[in-house]
Amino acid sequence: MIPLYGFVEGDTLGILVLAYETETVAELASKLQDAASVRVARRGRVELLHEGRVLESRCPIAAAGIEPLDRIDLRVVHDMPK
Amino acid sequence: MLKRDEWIDLARKLEWELSYVSEREAFPEIVSGRTWLPQQEWAGWDEPYRTTYAEYVANQHEKDRSVYAVRAALGKPSDYERLPREWLDALKLHAATLPLAEFAAVVGNLRAVRFGRDSAWRSTATLGALDELRHTHIPLLLMHELVRHSAQFDWTHRFYHSNDWVAIAARHYADELLLASTPIDFAIATNFVLETGFTNLQFVGLSALAHDVGDRMFETMVTSIQSDEARHSQIGGPVLEKVVQHDRAYAQYLVDKWFWRSWLLFAIVTGFAMDYLTPLESRSQSFKEFMQEWVVDQFMRMLDEHGLDKPWYWPIFEQALDYYHHMVYASAYTYRSTVWFNFVVPGPAERTWLRQKYPRSWDDIDPVWNRITERWREADPGNDFSVHGTAIVGFCDLCQIVLCAGTPRNNSATTLRHGGRKYVFCSEPCRWIFEREPERYGAHRDVVKRVLAGEAPANLVALLRRYFGLSFETWGKDAYRGEYAWIDRDGGAR
Repeated sequence: MIPLYGFVEGDTLGILVLAYETETVAELASKLQDAASVRVARRGRVELLHEGRVLESRCPIAAAGIEPLDRIDLRVVHDMPK
Repeated sequence: MLKRDEWIDLARKLEWELSYVSEREAFPEIVSGRTWLPQQEWAGWDEPYRTTYAEYVANQHEKDRSVYAVRAALGKPSDYERLPREWLDALKLHAATLPLAEFAAVVGNLRAVRFGRDSAWRSTATLGALDELRHTHIPLLLMHELVRHSAQFDWTHRFYHSNDWVAIAARHYADELLLASTPIDFAIATNFVLETGFTNLQFVGLSALAHDVGDRMFETMVTSIQSDEARHSQIGGPVLEKVVQHDRAYAQYLVDKWFWRSWLLFAIVTGFAMDYLTPLESRSQSFKEFMQEWVVDQFMRMLDEHGLDKPWYWPIFEQALDYYHHMVYASAYTYRSTVWFNFVVPGPAERTWLRQKYPRSWDDIDPVWNRITERWREADPGNDFSVHGTAIVGFCDLCQIVLCAGTPRNNSATTLRHGGRKYVFCSEPCRWIFEREPERYGAHRDVVKRVLAGEAPANLVALLRRYFGLSFETWGKDAYRGEYAWIDRDGGAR
């Protein structure tokens, strides 16, 4: 397991999340939303960022270039105006 | 018979030439502090109060008599029961964090009594140590006896002996500031920055709040303590002046470091009390307004008088005035069982007031309270754990406080790899302090590192009971059990 500091957009607090190497970025994002859900309601479209880089949602954590105790950010994806 | 002014300096400012040991041996730099200067450099040191021991004892006796008189008149259960519920939680917060920190300050003063570089400084520090002993005893007596009304007041004594996360943060700060500092560092960090900059004025603000709330006991206690602080804090200025003359960069560093570190804890203790735990009708100004009027303006003048610059992180501090204590309070509300006092949800009237007082930040904070309200609407009253976090939270490796700095849109936490270890900091100033003195801070383990090392349990309830020392009776809850008239459980928030 990889401990990570997670920050959800709109939240007031940084959380420690434990990521499995085999889970995907999308699964980790979902886990992070759950962990912050008492303060921030789940959002529809979100993306996970690591050092400013958007992580591909299907990528397994083991291949995402994340190290223990790194910072990850969950950001809401806003639709572009038509 | 000699008049007072004819003998006083013989008693309080008497130097002599050392003959058996050198000055450097009698006052080694490692204990006396940087910057080491020969005694003649300190010869002009003085402070304005010039109190004699006899005057001190007479004054303190009178002050103690006033406190005991108020205690005798107001110590009845009915006096306690008529205080607003949330104010009692502000009291529990102060009751825990104040007295034993004051006791640590006894040690800091006593080190100056022996190793301070001028005899007048040593004399004044003697009275300072006695002051701090008084500031330990009075709150322990007045606040701990409230345990008959609520077991949470037991934390008046227990707090600093526990491994509660707030206690770890407070010890990390107080141990360095009060127990381990040299007399020079203590004078600049405690007397100048903390006491002159923050607590002396905080006590003025708190006594006014207590007056408005109708808490005469707390008002009397705080006023009594403040008058001592005003005197012994005067040690700081003349010490700072001398260090600025000889080592300006070090003086600036101490001021910058301790202003930031003091601010973080001050924002929690005083910010919570002023903006959340005082009933709306008793609030005369917001925490930010208080800070701007009483702390910031005065601190700027003090820096200017000593030829020092504004700390480099001032724009970060100014943003924090709008955000920091709100972010910590909302976060701590959702982890209230990890502390020893209760919280309230700000209702519509409080939130209107907060929006008016914090126009720059409240739009970012308010949605969190909407969400918490929504959660309470779905939960039964008193079911605190339905509106509570369960994930482990992150702690700053410098201040040991939760990662709540920056804004909800952009939390300012930052990581650092140093000496083969990974560290996280809530803010750039905390990281900067760590990077200046990694050997001092690097080995300390925050709560998360203790959990990961297996020292502390990862399960929340086990952590509360076995590591933090809390129980169902003492851990924090919603002060109103989530039963607010403005939460309509049938139809939504009113």
